Amino acid sequence: MSQTKVMRKLSGARFAENSKAWLIMLPSLILMLFFVWEPLFESVRMSLYKTRNVELVRYIGFDNYISVMGKDDFIQALLNTFSYTFWSLIIGFLLPVVLAMIIGETRRSKGIFRTIAYLPNMLPGLAVIILWSSFFSAEKSGVLNILLSTIGVSPQTYLTRAEWVIPIIIIIATWKGAGATALIYMASMAGVSPELYEAAAIDGATVLQRVWHILLPSIRKLMGTLLILQIISVFQIMYEPMVLTKGGPDNASLSLMQLMWQYAFGGSMNYGKASAVAVIVTGILLVMTLIHSYFDRKESSWD
Amino acid sequence: MKKVQRTGVIREYDLHSRSVKVLYGFVLFLCLVMTVIALFPLIWVCLAGFKDLKEFVSSTSLLPSDFNFGMFTTTWDQLGIAKNYLNSLFSVAGSVVCAIVFNGLLGYGLGILKPKGYGVVKKLVMLSLLLPTTISIVPLFMNIQKLGLGNSFLPLWLSFGANAMYVVLFIQFFESLPHSIIEAARIDGANQLQTFFSIVLPLSKPICTVIAIFAVNAAWSDFLLPYLVLRGGQLQTVMVRLFVFSTEQTVNADTMMRSVVFSMIPPIILFFIFQKQLTENAVSVGIKG
Repeated sequence: MSQTKVMRKLSGARFAENSKAWLIMLPSLILMLFFVWEPLFESVRMSLYKTRNVELVRYIGFDNYISVMGKDDFIQALLNTFSYTFWSLIIGFLLPVVLAMIIGETRRSKGIFRTIAYLPNMLPGLAVIILWSSFFSAEKSGVLNILLSTIGVSPQTYLTRAEWVIPIIIIIATWKGAGATALIYMASMAGVSPELYEAAAIDGATVLQRVWHILLPSIRKLMGTLLILQIISVFQIMYEPMVLTKGGPDNASLSLMQLMWQYAFGGSMNYGKASAVAVIVTGILLVMTLIHSYFDRKESSWD
Repeated sequence: MKKVQRTGVIREYDLHSRSVKVLYGFVLFLCLVMTVIALFPLIWVCLAGFKDLKEFVSSTSLLPSDFNFGMFTTTWDQLGIAKNYLNSLFSVAGSVVCAIVFNGLLGYGLGILKPKGYGVVKKLVMLSLLLPTTISIVPLFMNIQKLGLGNSFLPLWLSFGANAMYVVLFIQFFESLPHSIIEAARIDGANQLQTFFSIVLPLSKPICTVIAIFAVNAAWSDFLLPYLVLRGGQLQTVMVRLFVFSTEQTVNADTMMRSVVFSMIPPIILFFIFQKQLTENAVSVGIKG
């Protein structure tokens, strides 16, 4: 057999292999297309159209964007969303690091504490919100008010105060998520060889110096990654204010994604405007991701 | 007694020093505070479930006046939660199967078979990891409507078959499998699909377990897409029901608390059965992206 013939036969076999492999992936790819990729493109397209119910009526360029962004509730929702992000970093960013450190230092009961820290993360988000709504109830039968009454503080209102409502929602989200994030940090911290601590101790480094010079540097990169992930996830906050406060008081907790939901499913069925809001949120998230990967690359080149 | 190998910053000999002992005591104290904060809301909501409406809105005590389990069974029967549980069960079961099979097959293609041009698809999957799914919920819902799939579990099941994170987890795991075993199967004449089901999947129990647990929990807790697809129909799941209660305020506050308890029982049971896998394996794969 000549060499070209063998080659042809081989490439024929490879072609068959390749097409079979694609055939195996085909059903999954169709699902990806239907559930993830096509809806994204559709979002962009729909945001440029006037819509009636599920029909695209006519192309209107950026009118949906102009109309959406011109409203007060959009400005408010945008500011609120940044406020959510700000508070989430203040309340929820370092807490998992601290939790990871203290759980990591315990000797015998590490497994138990780890389990307890993870538990809230398993609970359904909706149930968690409803549960905490009664905690922060303004009635004298609200749990926080009951607790406060034992130290002589009279019943307070919480969720109806514009300046408190966002931090409270973030506290609830942090209660649910911080333990799970702490476990990720713990896994990373466990990668530090105990010999490093031993060596530092022999050189006379105190416990706090070891934390500062060995433990924290070991998770610095992970902290950067989790920071951007946290910002991205908080930026999409939606059902928490939707269920807890309906965006109130007076739109003080309205988030961008919630605004999107309201346009689409809040009675007016304005899918075009809803898509415009979604595209704006996606755009902001994309910019943040790009900034992150830029700094990530810069940092890697320094190392 | 087995000596526990310490991994932390504080070394064994540090504990001879008094100030480190105090520090260690403080660390334990903080762990206890964490425990109280993590568990208190759960205990409290269960206690609240024993109160009737009058007691719930007026009592200034956390403890109910008496522990009458009848409160729970009455709510269970009145609201017909059993039916919602059954619906949730169907929804979860189908979702888990789809999550394993479809994401597994895509992971198999991109991680092991790697046909010509697979790189583009892999990049696309990686990119979709960054993009939030709620963003495209509007057009997705419209597509489902157009195909006449409303009021059915099918779109919910299949939506779990298109999860970029699960795909990436499968790819990572498959790439770590010894290539020789897969090669051997191929030489023995098994085709690609047979190799997947008879060799690759059985070798992938750890990752399948983790993804199954994630999927069970996600499918049980999900309510936005399920609400849009199932609302008003006979197939409403527990979480859809709870969402309807909370938005339309059709039930009293005390009944609401008991519904919350009902909705948390299955995840808590799941958690205690699989806590080891969750707190150990899930963490190593928990970093999305």
